[in-house]
Amino acid sequence: MKVLMVDKEKCTGCHQCELWCGTEIASISKELATAINETPQPVPRVYVEGKPFAMQCRHCEEAPCLDACPNGTMRRDPETGLIYVNEPTCIACWMCVMVCPFGIINPSSSLKVAIKCDRCRSMGYPICAEVCPTGAISLVERKDYRKKKF
Amino acid sequence: MEFIQKKTADNAAERFLPKAADKGTKLAWDRFEGQLPECGFCESGLSCRDCLQGPCISNPFRDANKLGVCGKDKDVLAAQSLLKLVLKGTMATLDQVGDFVEGVASGGVKPRDKAAADRVIAEIEALLKDGGAGMKKAFPKALLAAWEEAGIVPQGVAKDLFKASQKTEGGVAGVEETLFWAFKAALLGAFARKLQGDLKKAVFGAAPAEIEVDMGILKKDTATIILYGRFSPVLKVKIAEAAAKKKVAVMGVCTDPLLLPHVFAPVTSYGSQELPLMTGAVDLIVVGDQFVNPSLAAIAAEYSVAVVPTETLKDQNPDVFAKAIVEKALNAFGFRRSIVRDIPDAKKTALMGLSAADLDMKKIAAALAGEKIKGIAILAGTNNVKFTQDLPFVTLAQEFLKDGVLCISEGDAGVSLAKYGFLDPGQSEKHCSQGVAELLKTAGKNLPAVIDLGLAENGGLTEFLLALSAAAGKSIKELPILACFAEANRSAEAGEALSLVAMGVSTYFWPALPVTGSPKTMDALSTLCRLKFGAGMIVDTNKKREPLAKAGMILKVFNRVADPAAGDHPWTDWKK
Repeated sequence: MKVLMVDKEKCTGCHQCELWCGTEIASISKELATAINETPQPVPRVYVEGKPFAMQCRHCEEAPCLDACPNGTMRRDPETGLIYVNEPTCIACWMCVMVCPFGIINPSSSLKVAIKCDRCRSMGYPICAEVCPTGAISLVERKDYRKKKF
Repeated sequence: MEFIQKKTADNAAERFLPKAADKGTKLAWDRFEGQLPECGFCESGLSCRDCLQGPCISNPFRDANKLGVCGKDKDVLAAQSLLKLVLKGTMATLDQVGDFVEGVASGGVKPRDKAAADRVIAEIEALLKDGGAGMKKAFPKALLAAWEEAGIVPQGVAKDLFKASQKTEGGVAGVEETLFWAFKAALLGAFARKLQGDLKKAVFGAAPAEIEVDMGILKKDTATIILYGRFSPVLKVKIAEAAAKKKVAVMGVCTDPLLLPHVFAPVTSYGSQELPLMTGAVDLIVVGDQFVNPSLAAIAAEYSVAVVPTETLKDQNPDVFAKAIVEKALNAFGFRRSIVRDIPDAKKTALMGLSAADLDMKKIAAALAGEKIKGIAILAGTNNVKFTQDLPFVTLAQEFLKDGVLCISEGDAGVSLAKYGFLDPGQSEKHCSQGVAELLKTAGKNLPAVIDLGLAENGGLTEFLLALSAAAGKSIKELPILACFAEANRSAEAGEALSLVAMGVSTYFWPALPVTGSPKTMDALSTLCRLKFGAGMIVDTNKKREPLAKAGMILKVFNRVADPAAGDHPWTDWKK
């Protein structure tokens, strides 16, 4: 299974991943100039915070959000192992938000759904990795990710 | 994140792209692809580097960083992004004027009309000092009143540029106020361009000339110098004089082609400025700053072309400098004999540098009133790698002429169009509708399909608009004129576009100006400007619109088809 790896040495905190995730994934228009003015405001699935560091869902092997979800809205794709939100059935109870150890699930009060990264599972390549100008975000096999020394 | 499949519509230029790829020479198009995706915050005008607490952004998708450290919001950031562009553009114009005045004052050239030259220089000095009273007389009272009401009448460098630049430093000026400072700076630039044109007329005289353009004009067996970009006309003349004595050819790229009696024939347009070096038929280039890609130095080194910069910290005597340049070119020609001179077979005749004085404005006004033509389109600006080079200009000109719209070109757009024969008097009937063709036959001598007013620094556009307004007995905003910066690139073009809007000409601008992050700024550029000046700035946010669709969009306005954008032009009910 491939996961996103973020190199903290390369992340400059430019927020491009947030901007393009918000445009390509979260917005209705998919065009930056119009997405900027959409209401409700599009919610990116990646957050640049701290050192700086880009954070998105880790698609945990033992995912607490899957266990906490009371009605099976949070699901794992059996083929890819990626975890995603089945939005039509979300009851906005925010249990997943409470249990996520990385704090990356966004409780959208306007849309009444939990919003999180599905690693662009329906696209060829994750948008955040594609737009990162320094190559800080890359897509790697989970076993290689585990071998890497940070 | 737009990848451009076809780089250029210019066959002569396209020929060199595989050659560059084979040799590993990186051109503007390659570097553009390397930059993708470009910073979305900067593109939308939502970034700021005005102080050292930043850089800041206004993140459209997160609440935590919607405001900069100092509190600038998206609207102020976007309006200031435009203001900064315009300031830089106006300074580019003033720099050229300064060079010219200095050259004339030093006695480097003998003006044809000394009294007129002295008068214009005095006016330029007055303009820079306090806005000058002389220039204001040239504009109709109603237009001046509108500018007075908006507070954008130029008052000199200190009150226009210095004050305007401080709006980016702090204060609580909102979108409207910031935009009007941008308009004020833009008008100062427009005034300076008009005076520069007047000075050129007084010093060199003004007459259109039929010249040859495109890379086919390069020579196989003659030492060749290309002048790149804008720099002192006096130095250009000195180089031309010294070169003529030694039988060295002098041509130009992005430089004024006409300083009579000297002609600096345009070798290509801005977008493909690196390619003439790849022909091997250029021995030396003299480069200014404006409109010159820094990449030229590396490509020149690759093809053993000597490079001489004009704008250095140390002043040089133009006579001695020009002679040294020509000697250097001859030397370079000598040791470059082994290099193959691969000159494409592309050459077109072009009538360039027309002015209002060469045109029968009464006939043009009558054609508008009698509906022989639907309107006038101004095609201006240079190339931009975000579009297939020249394609927007060519498509717009083709569609407009076919549909009965008279086309005027200004700046490098003229060179772009000349490469496809639009400026060739012999080919004018090929492109035009009957109405336009008839008008071209009567409105001037030997006119081509597109009327070229020369580079922006000739101030030809302002002169044309004022003359047409006088001939038609209507204000500029009441005349069906639209301007299109179809492939805009330089800050000077943003400034020029704003000055056209202030004069009453609605202007289409591609690519989108860095204001798209702020709906309020976008709205002010369209609605507020229409209210104040009777013309708006149309910033198209649809990046996928093809040139043909752009032409269709603008033709709808010329054809007075019901359209929300068209409804606001004062001339849409002009038929009545």
